[in-house]
Amino acid sequence: MRKYDVVVIGAGNGGLAAAAKILSAGKTCLVCEKHNIPGGFATSFVRGRFEFEASLHEFNGIQTPENPGSARLLFNELGVGDKIEWIQLKEAYRLISLKEGYDFTMPFGLEAFAEANAKLHPDGKKCIQHFWSLCQQIREAMNYLAESKGKPDPKVLVEKYGDYVRCASYTVNEAFEALGYPKIIVDNLNAYWCYLGADGDNLSFLHYANMIYSYIIGGAAIPSMKSHEISLALETRIHELGGDIWFNTEVTKILTDEEGHVCGVRLCDGSQVETRHVIANCSPHVVYGRLLEESAVPERALKLTNSRKLAGRGFTAFYAFNKSPEELGLTDHNYFVYESSDSIEMYKKMGTMYENYGQATCVLNNADPNCSPKGTTIMYSTTLFTTDVWKDVKEEDYYKLKNQIALAMLKRFEEAVGVSLQEHIEEIAVATPQTYARYCGHPQGVIYGYESQPRDGLLNRIMMVEEDRFVPGLRIGGGFGERLLGFPSSYKSGYNEACRTLSDMQKEGN
Amino acid sequence: MLFSKYPDDIKRFQEMTNDRRRIIDNTPATPLPQTYAVNQLSKALHPNVIPAEIVDTKEIGRNCKIITLKSTSENGRFPYFRAGQFITISARVGDSFITRPYSISSSPYQAMQGIMEVIVQKAGLFSTYLLEEAKVGDKVVVGEPTGDFYYDNIRDRETIVAIAGGSGITPFISMIKSIIEGSDDFNLIVFYGVRTRSDLLIDLDSVKHEKIKVIPVLSHEEVDGYEHGFITKELISKYVPAKYSVFMCGPDAMYNFVTDEFVKLGLDKHSIRQEHNSIGDRQFVEPKVFKLTVHMRDQVYVVDAYQNETLVCAMERAGLAAPVRCKSGSCGFCHSRLVKGEVTTPEKYESRRAADKKFGYIHPCCTYPDSDLEIDVPPFVAGEMI
Ligand SMILES: Cc1cc2nc3c(=O)[nH]c(=O)nc-3n(C[C@H](O)[C@H](O)[C@H](O)COP(=O)(O)OP(=O)(O)OC[C@H]3O[C@@H](n4cnc5c(N)ncnc54)[C@H](O)[C@@H]3O)c2cc1C
Ligand code: FES
Repeated sequence: MRKYDVVVIGAGNGGLAAAAKILSAGKTCLVCEKHNIPGGFATSFVRGRFEFEASLHEFNGIQTPENPGSARLLFNELGVGDKIEWIQLKEAYRLISLKEGYDFTMPFGLEAFAEANAKLHPDGKKCIQHFWSLCQQIREAMNYLAESKGKPDPKVLVEKYGDYVRCASYTVNEAFEALGYPKIIVDNLNAYWCYLGADGDNLSFLHYANMIYSYIIGGAAIPSMKSHEISLALETRIHELGGDIWFNTEVTKILTDEEGHVCGVRLCDGSQVETRHVIANCSPHVVYGRLLEESAVPERALKLTNSRKLAGRGFTAFYAFNKSPEELGLTDHNYFVYESSDSIEMYKKMGTMYENYGQATCVLNNADPNCSPKGTTIMYSTTLFTTDVWKDVKEEDYYKLKNQIALAMLKRFEEAVGVSLQEHIEEIAVATPQTYARYCGHPQGVIYGYESQPRDGLLNRIMMVEEDRFVPGLRIGGGFGERLLGFPSSYKSGYNEACRTLSDMQKEGN
Repeated sequence: MLFSKYPDDIKRFQEMTNDRRRIIDNTPATPLPQTYAVNQLSKALHPNVIPAEIVDTKEIGRNCKIITLKSTSENGRFPYFRAGQFITISARVGDSFITRPYSISSSPYQAMQGIMEVIVQKAGLFSTYLLEEAKVGDKVVVGEPTGDFYYDNIRDRETIVAIAGGSGITPFISMIKSIIEGSDDFNLIVFYGVRTRSDLLIDLDSVKHEKIKVIPVLSHEEVDGYEHGFITKELISKYVPAKYSVFMCGPDAMYNFVTDEFVKLGLDKHSIRQEHNSIGDRQFVEPKVFKLTVHMRDQVYVVDAYQNETLVCAMERAGLAAPVRCKSGSCGFCHSRLVKGEVTTPEKYESRRAADKKFGYIHPCCTYPDSDLEIDVPPFVAGEMI
């Protein structure tokens, strides 16, 4: 009989981290993945003489071996720290916002970033320093909350972390209004908003401030062999620890016993695996909608899931050019090209099929000069669609439409940066919400989990993590988890769910 | 204090969890969707495998047939594809379970009506089976259309210069049909190299269209009104406009020769798209036989692996449902883990990702054994269907 202590559904970032943690605690673990390689979005693909990164623009929380960031510490703990080689990025970003006429490049480093803002506005440096002190307090407060395991002393909170408490319920726009910085400084601080994919009226300020701080203080990195390197490092670790990973193996049902406790999973070939604990690396929409029997899903799970908002549906165009970045005039690694710095206006346009030109574009060679053959360049541009505009596309129109959208984005990039790229394309691939739906199976091609909402943001989810689970033996982790989307978050979320599963097992005495 | 704007912010903080509870309370417990429109289209375009039946076989030359397949899937259709792509056909032949790629020669709209055509030329085991044994009514499994040998309006010039050798005309037949039916829109100039007129696999009269020109080039026959000899730069220049993109499908020797001709005309050789050719055996006078241990989920099989054959050949001969698509190392569908042993992947078929090499992953379709081996292979669902 096939029997494991834990079955992990999905070998995405969350699933791989969860499995490595479960195994390192000495438990048996099987990972079932419907695709034929690990990683979910964290992968790469080969076209012609190029290997493309499939998703990662930049990874924060790595830093250096001597001064490790939180993500590096997590990889060290999972036993893959020495299996991945990182390349540090030189600069934070280049922001181009057409409406305001912005075009500036920002460095990493708290001081350097503050200095760069001095050039934007006479008060720029002062504002940024002020902002950093607030971020520092937020970070310390979050550490305190984590240490207090959800039972903080209210007195300590208010006395030591007063600003944190005050801004904890704020959206980004509310907070920046309260802070009263000049518009250009606020617009610059808003540059990273597309990484979380919710507009300033919905995005939690805490979460966002914490993310900018983490990027600027610690810098960002990419693995030298694309994110596939991280996925294979984790897979290798899982095998070292005696775990199993079955590819081309979709889980079609999570089985429960009379008490409603998880008792196994059914696979695509109809066979079953016995287990008391499942960690699902897919969306609650799929878990409660399809994987569990209807009778095993409590009413509140449906209410919670229905109350959540699906985040951005992904769209990426990948290019390989037969010229070097210098020849093409591409000087930076990370471009944010926006129509306007108003995230609400942008978010609305991103809900339309034909007005979504905003993009985060990476020129990979400017981070890793060896990522493609000499004299060539790899570039990829990502945007999100914030509504289901892709749902009505007809099969026979699909390929034309995706190229039409990709070309419009490319033309907007060429215009904004003042370069000419189209005639130099050697390889191209375009990924749409349909592509992402195919690879990871999330609803409507969502790549960013559940969107951050004023009452469904980072803090709410962390505080209510136990309230948000319903089926004994079942935990859900990854980009749909309590830490929201992103590479560092999804690994951490999987890891956290593994720790919780281990403590569930202890409580249940197995 | 940095903040003082909102007087009630501490209260707001304290109420955050209650606010969320209230939002959940007030949301209806309607059942969740079973599927989503975007995922459905995705599934229609990429069903992975499609059960099918042979509905027609027609001889179109010596040792050459058009085989027509009809989808027997629930919706009775094949996915809309991009002309130039290929499918795979899987079938059991004796004790073996075999999968081979074939360029599609029918059109995208035909696919939506449930029809796919391929042209099979006698080559090895499976083509011989398809030509001599397969008959109308036989069940096979079709692997979804894939490959990147298609016209892309962002990347390519408005004119495609196609170089076809022998049965390498197949993907261009699909492109011709696709232009005629309106699925594709570009100018197509096909240089079609064959030995003699009797080897032509298309009826030249059927391709009369303002955007299409087919130029047969006969190597072993001199006939008035036909080009004769090789496809040289002089011949090419006679027909092509100033700007064009090049696609080639045919034998490797043709690729080498005609690529040089285009380079002489000033083209960057990397801009030329060549359809991948499947890998063959490697040469050994007396090939050794190794022991190949294959893990598929929790099943373990031990099979013979000949030194001169790829690992996929060994698995297929033993009847294992090995995942196969391109059989040229380029698609990654057969991606597997090398647990133990020594192997060789010829440089020409090396398309693995950098990290695959670092961590010991292989593409068994293009990997030869150099010792006893142990590999972990994802099972191919087609094996459960026939
Ligand atoms: C184009 C793009 C750019 C991005 N850029 C960045 C960036 O620069 N920085 C950053 O931090 N983040 C970025 N992200 C986000 C980041 O990639 C994701 O948040 C993260 O990968 C999510 O990981 P996950 O754990 O949720 O797993 P997922 O990647 O969502 O994987 C889930 C896995 O589960 C499998 N699965 C699902 N259902 C089943 C089932 N029933 N049975 C078996 N297997 C199943 C799927 O096949 C998949 O492999 C980007 C994403 C995309 C797409
Ligand atoms: S089948 Fe395509 S790489 Fe092996």
